[in-house]
Amino acid sequence: MPASDTIVALSTPTGRSGIGVIRLTGPHSLDYTRLLLRDELFTPEPNRVTLKNLHDPETGETLDRALITYFKSPRSFTGEDIVELSCHGSPVLLLRVIDSLLSIGARAADPGDFTLRALSNGRMNLTQAEAIRDLIDAQTHTAVRQATRQLDGELSARLQPVKDALIKIIVPLESALEFVEDDLPKLAAEGISNELVSLAQKLDDLAQTFRSGRLLKDGLKVALVGCPNAGKSSLFNRLLSIDRAIVTDIPGTTRDSLSELLNLQGIPVLVTDTAGVRVSNDPIERLGMGRTRRAIADADLVIVVIDGTRPLTLDDKMIFSELAEVTYLIALNKNDLDSFASSRLDGFIDSVKCISVSAKTGAGFDQLQRAILDSFDFKSLECEGLLITNSRHFDLLRRAIDALHSSQKAFRQRLSEDFVLVGLYDALRFLGELTGETTPETILSQIFASFCIGK
Amino acid sequence: MIMSFDEKFDVLVIGAGHAGCEAASAAARMGASTALVTLNLDLIGQMSCNPAIGGIAKGHLVREIDALGGIMGRVIDRTGIQFRLLNRSRGPAVQSPRAQADRALYRNEMRIMLESTPNLYLRQGEITDFVIKEGQILGVELQDTRRLRADAVVLATGTFLNGLIHTGKKTYTAGRSGEPASIRLASRLKQLGFMMGRLKTGTPPRLDGRTIDWAQFAPQSGDEEPVPFSFSTNYINQPQITCFIGYTNEHVHRIIRDNISESPLYSGQITGVGPRYCPSIEDKVIKFPSKNRHQLFLEPEGHNTSEVYLNGFSTSMPAGLQHQLVHSVLGLEEASIIRPGYAIEYDYCDPKELTPFLQTLRIKGLFFAGQINGTTGYEEAACQGLLAGINASLYTRKKEGFKLSRSEAYIGVLIDDLINHGVDEPYRIFTSRAEKRLSLRYDTADLRLSAYGRDLGLVDDISWENFNARRNRISSLHKFLESTRVKRSDVLYQELAQCSGTDLGDSISFAEFSVRSDLNIKVFRSVVGKLYQSSIINNELKTVLADLLYQGYINIQENNYSNVHKYDNLVIPNNFSFRDLSTLSNEMIERFERVCPSDFSEARKISGITPVALASLLTHLRLIPT
Repeated sequence: MPASDTIVALSTPTGRSGIGVIRLTGPHSLDYTRLLLRDELFTPEPNRVTLKNLHDPETGETLDRALITYFKSPRSFTGEDIVELSCHGSPVLLLRVIDSLLSIGARAADPGDFTLRALSNGRMNLTQAEAIRDLIDAQTHTAVRQATRQLDGELSARLQPVKDALIKIIVPLESALEFVEDDLPKLAAEGISNELVSLAQKLDDLAQTFRSGRLLKDGLKVALVGCPNAGKSSLFNRLLSIDRAIVTDIPGTTRDSLSELLNLQGIPVLVTDTAGVRVSNDPIERLGMGRTRRAIADADLVIVVIDGTRPLTLDDKMIFSELAEVTYLIALNKNDLDSFASSRLDGFIDSVKCISVSAKTGAGFDQLQRAILDSFDFKSLECEGLLITNSRHFDLLRRAIDALHSSQKAFRQRLSEDFVLVGLYDALRFLGELTGETTPETILSQIFASFCIGK
Repeated sequence: MIMSFDEKFDVLVIGAGHAGCEAASAAARMGASTALVTLNLDLIGQMSCNPAIGGIAKGHLVREIDALGGIMGRVIDRTGIQFRLLNRSRGPAVQSPRAQADRALYRNEMRIMLESTPNLYLRQGEITDFVIKEGQILGVELQDTRRLRADAVVLATGTFLNGLIHTGKKTYTAGRSGEPASIRLASRLKQLGFMMGRLKTGTPPRLDGRTIDWAQFAPQSGDEEPVPFSFSTNYINQPQITCFIGYTNEHVHRIIRDNISESPLYSGQITGVGPRYCPSIEDKVIKFPSKNRHQLFLEPEGHNTSEVYLNGFSTSMPAGLQHQLVHSVLGLEEASIIRPGYAIEYDYCDPKELTPFLQTLRIKGLFFAGQINGTTGYEEAACQGLLAGINASLYTRKKEGFKLSRSEAYIGVLIDDLINHGVDEPYRIFTSRAEKRLSLRYDTADLRLSAYGRDLGLVDDISWENFNARRNRISSLHKFLESTRVKRSDVLYQELAQCSGTDLGDSISFAEFSVRSDLNIKVFRSVVGKLYQSSIINNELKTVLADLLYQGYINIQENNYSNVHKYDNLVIPNNFSFRDLSTLSNEMIERFERVCPSDFSEARKISGITPVALASLLTHLRLIPT
């Protein structure tokens, strides 16, 4: 299935940004670029950046002044000719450039098209391909950086020493089995046992980052709940700084749940506005209530919105009873009003973080945003740098850890080396799924390099 | 060309070493009229290196050969003079029998075995050419002008192809010490287009036992109760001997270092690659300078000779220097060398040019077995010989070939490795080469393979009857242990509890009890024997216990295996064109095309295939609508 057409896509996230990169891949990448430049002889040096004016191919009107980089086949990401146009980041402008390219004959890329070509053309392995998929799916900058790290083989690089250490354990155990007649040094049982524990720990540390990693990729799910008219929708709008939710004075206006993605310091946060919680006979409102409960169940964090101008109602208290198993914080709303009193919750809730805000003026929102992020443990994100975001990777790591534990157990029970090795080889195979296979030949070579074997 | 032949056979086997003997015996017993042609009929089944058979993984191979109906196991059982089951203290899967052979008795017994085989004819002579018509083998030509006709030819020439012996700076052509090499056959193979390479192996000096100070060496005896190789052997009748262990010393090492330029291994004279697991003493000293002594085994060559094999001292140093080296070993000060050690270089053919049935892709009806395929070891050679003999015979009857999978036999692992990965040094079997070594125990070779041997016509009626009885006993004992529970109120419960030391709960099955790591097999056997209605054969109880012991591990392994290999069954269509994967490199395309994998698992195993190429293939396979 050789790819013969030339495809185009916007490679940077949609939306207003400093620059926007448009990427062409395929045999006609350069031809189409020439048409856009109105320069038939344009032959840029590969991997060098050239500054040029882009024109509308029909009218000749100048569209933008762009940096052009040419990656010559096969030394490119997809293995095909690639041209990257770094334009100014206006969505409208970018759209016009892409439209121009489509009008000349380029095809709009389907999701994953670039990766597929890279794979087909042997330019990347599956781990890299999966990282790219994450890259495409990545919704915010932190996630993009994360995906980039994985692509650079950082995961492989992190796992390689673990794999090497594993092979180092396998070698004496395997030698003891295979070369029983040889004059081999005695096994250092204590060292092997400790090493097994430490390897499992290293993998575990890496696997632990999966939760944060997944949050990074999928976004944190935050649900806003509260009594009708506590100001959830206003709060929602203020958080998003857009006018999406319908805001009225009539309690129970939000009957559906609305969700919107928000970018908090580079972390994607999916905020869901829910219907107010109260006893109601209105069937539509009751339906909304069901959705609210589901939103609570799905959420990584619940923000309870309470009207700080009134005493706590029975409905408020009922809400807290819904939150037994959930991480939540409280936004005490309407602190711009005189009747507001931050002591409304005194004696009722102590241990939960409570922030006074005004959805109307925006007061307290900095604090609220920080509190949202604080409720997630991003320690690993800061110090480790690397995170597991892909559930297949997580699964393989977990299996490798289990395998090491079973080996450790067999070793402690002083079972014969053949039992201990089962788990070690399994672990090696699982890690191999992430970093490349280890053949018996590799192990044998290590044995012969380590010990003087043979009659 | 006039096609006249002096004699006509169905199958011709060239070379009567360990591969050739198995091949000829199997082909003949399967009903093919078979000629075994060798340079010297007096050296049939010669052990050209150390006089021993078996060892870890190698012993497994011999058991598998025997289970399929091969002859090596029976011959060594009749001629073995020291038997040891290796790895007794370890898990049953990695235990393996080994035996020291009386070299002359082994040859003799092998010749008797072959001569008593119907349909099998021995011929002496040197093969110098093949007769080939339209890519199909028709027969061979001998140096003495005889022409032999056959539909299938098994080539098992060992180290004889272009053999070149090195002792110090002196070299001469030879197949083994004192025997001529096959020079013309080697050049003929090259001419036919076979990819040839060069390998090397070596032997140590043989000493006169009457000149050794035995008191300086530690004796090593065989097992009290020898474990035979063949499932049909009940007793080992040969008187058993003792071997001895000694060590080299710094003095020996210094002489080697001072004279290293005399060694053809280090002077650049030898280009062939040697086996890493049979290093010469020069290699050991140079590569492991921190080791101040190396182990030596003094192995008597037989009952009726004083010749002693100095195992561990393989060398190609000049003969004069070998004297000096030997005399520097404690206890060998006065020892005289009967035959000096030497290194030998020989040609092999790239086994990647073979089908799974060991037939060459170039010439129909031509099969290769043994060292010509780049392997080392008698057992490795013998199992290939058996498979090549079986397939040559099937081929003459136009029947489908016979092969074994990696998961059912070490033989399957060995052949699969050879044809997929080729060799870059002499290939030896190891248990770690088998992904499923826990399931490939030496004691279950017959349970795994005898049914195949029977179907092929290689397992005789008596052996088959014995096998079936054994299989039934094992399976009923297994069922009994699993189904019999001992309750706290039972008298036997106390006996079990006493020998375990921990609480056994309200009731426990024999099977559950048996997997405890502190099992005392004698006590267990006597307790089980009180309830079991038939008698329990010790090694059969051990087999059942091993099955129970490994079951959990094997299950886990199977699960993991199936998860990891989830794409293995993706089918590669017959008409799939690797050239259409636009950007596979030519090298990758050639590798794929050479093997023509029928599914992803086969593609995955091709040697030298890069992960990127596999990912590319996988992407395309997943795009193919099913």
